[in-house]
Amino acid sequence: MPYSAEISRANPSAFLFLIDQSGSMVEPISGSENKRKCDSVADAINRLLHNLIIKCARGEGVRNFYEVCVIGYGATVAPAFSGPLAGRDLVPLSEVASSPARVEERVRKVDDGMGGIIEQKVKFPVWFEPLAKGITPMGTALSMAHKILSEWVQRHPASYPPIVINISDGEATDSGPVPQAEALTSLATEDGNVLLLNCHISSKPLQPIVFPDTDADLPDDFAKVLFSISSILPASLRELARAEGFSLGPESRGFAFNADLVELIRFLDIGTRGSNMR
Amino acid sequence: MVPFVTAFRLPKNGYTIDECEDAFDYSLDSLRFAISDGATESSFSDRWAQSLVKQFVIEPPFGVPPTEDSLQFWLLPQQMEWQSGIDWASLPWFAQEKAERGAYATLVGLEFGAHGTIWQKFVGRALAGEEMMWHAFAVGDSNLFQVRDDELLHAFPLEKSEDFNSRPILLASNAGNNLSALKDIRAAEGGCKPGDLFCLATDALAKWFLAQHEAGEKPWQILRQCQTEEAFAAHVKLIRETQGVRNDDTTMVLLEWRES
Repeated sequence: MPYSAEISRANPSAFLFLIDQSGSMVEPISGSENKRKCDSVADAINRLLHNLIIKCARGEGVRNFYEVCVIGYGATVAPAFSGPLAGRDLVPLSEVASSPARVEERVRKVDDGMGGIIEQKVKFPVWFEPLAKGITPMGTALSMAHKILSEWVQRHPASYPPIVINISDGEATDSGPVPQAEALTSLATEDGNVLLLNCHISSKPLQPIVFPDTDADLPDDFAKVLFSISSILPASLRELARAEGFSLGPESRGFAFNADLVELIRFLDIGTRGSNMR
Repeated sequence: MVPFVTAFRLPKNGYTIDECEDAFDYSLDSLRFAISDGATESSFSDRWAQSLVKQFVIEPPFGVPPTEDSLQFWLLPQQMEWQSGIDWASLPWFAQEKAERGAYATLVGLEFGAHGTIWQKFVGRALAGEEMMWHAFAVGDSNLFQVRDDELLHAFPLEKSEDFNSRPILLASNAGNNLSALKDIRAAEGGCKPGDLFCLATDALAKWFLAQHEAGEKPWQILRQCQTEEAFAAHVKLIRETQGVRNDDTTMVLLEWRES
């Protein structure tokens, strides 16, 4: 059965994030009070890396169940880690854990268990900074992902296939994304093809469409293109998404349209939850 | 009646025995046997599992079976020991945050004779022909099996292979996280005769045991033949590769009561 390989130190998997850093990412994201889209995405990615590290932490260290890469596309297309990892593409998770650009202290409001709210200081490590400048060279970003992963799948033939999550607020301004996405998702390990998940984030307060199985309800050609390049979710991810309250059919794709802040985080959570870790 | 014990623990494939988060302990003096499976998803769960089995053998929780309160009380010193055994200051941020969530583990404790009374144990062992008693309690999905006359007599606490899921209720090293576990203490007891076989097993092996039995097999026969660690490892490797057994830490304590 495909997409069933154990994720272990000997056979790690990989996550690649492709992040739109075009000029329009300065607009506020739907569902938050004037928080810029680029800030929301940066927070979501940093939080997700944080969660992934905690999930893989054991004792004093972090087990290298995953390699992680963040590519930004806007004025340039390049690896987008800040700090000690700047310029690196795929980085083993333990190294990500030990090399954040900085660790912020943020305040979280939590229930005090007696009907009140208390403020708790939490560590918020930052690996990825918000940026919004230039155009939307999505095709070039997908090509870069293809180049990185074509080597990776050769080195890890038995691994659970890499998952690529592309987050954007607009249309590609280069020749992309269809041919580049097809090349990317044609890469495979013995356990299945590379999965491509797309998340379109919105400034408009419209009902998001998440994990659709048809493009019939999508409002424009651009949405239909992103739908067409999104992978059909394997059964294991479908189950996870169902458990989180999403409704899915067997043809549901890893795609979110007009996602607001809440849906962005839920979408990323499902996308990175494949957890047959040993 | 004399007890003969074989016990083995194996790590997941690809891991060393030092990384195995299962634990067992037993004493032929007190006739107590315990097994525990530290949750892989939590940190320092190996130490947590070890402290539970060790303490059960030294001094089990009060009561047959223990009550919610007595188990909570019994856990306290071990929870403190677990906390103080971690060098918090030297841990990097992620390890600290993970460890703050605490460790989790299953526990099955099996004891022969009436709880804590040497006299009844002595009588139990001395009076040939009269059944000695056993009693056990469990939290989580590690299992106990009793086999008599080549038939499965008891499977405890889980009775069917389909009962195993990946989210068992576990004992936590953080006292505040034990509310549901303490409400789910399972208990069982029974008699014990010469020739009886008792098997304590962690989930992967226990699930296989029940699935084999459901298919009309007698899995205890092959486990009984595993007299060395090599033989046990070879058997576990085989069932992992050919019978879909999960690549998990795997531990077994096998106790056979023979005629003296």
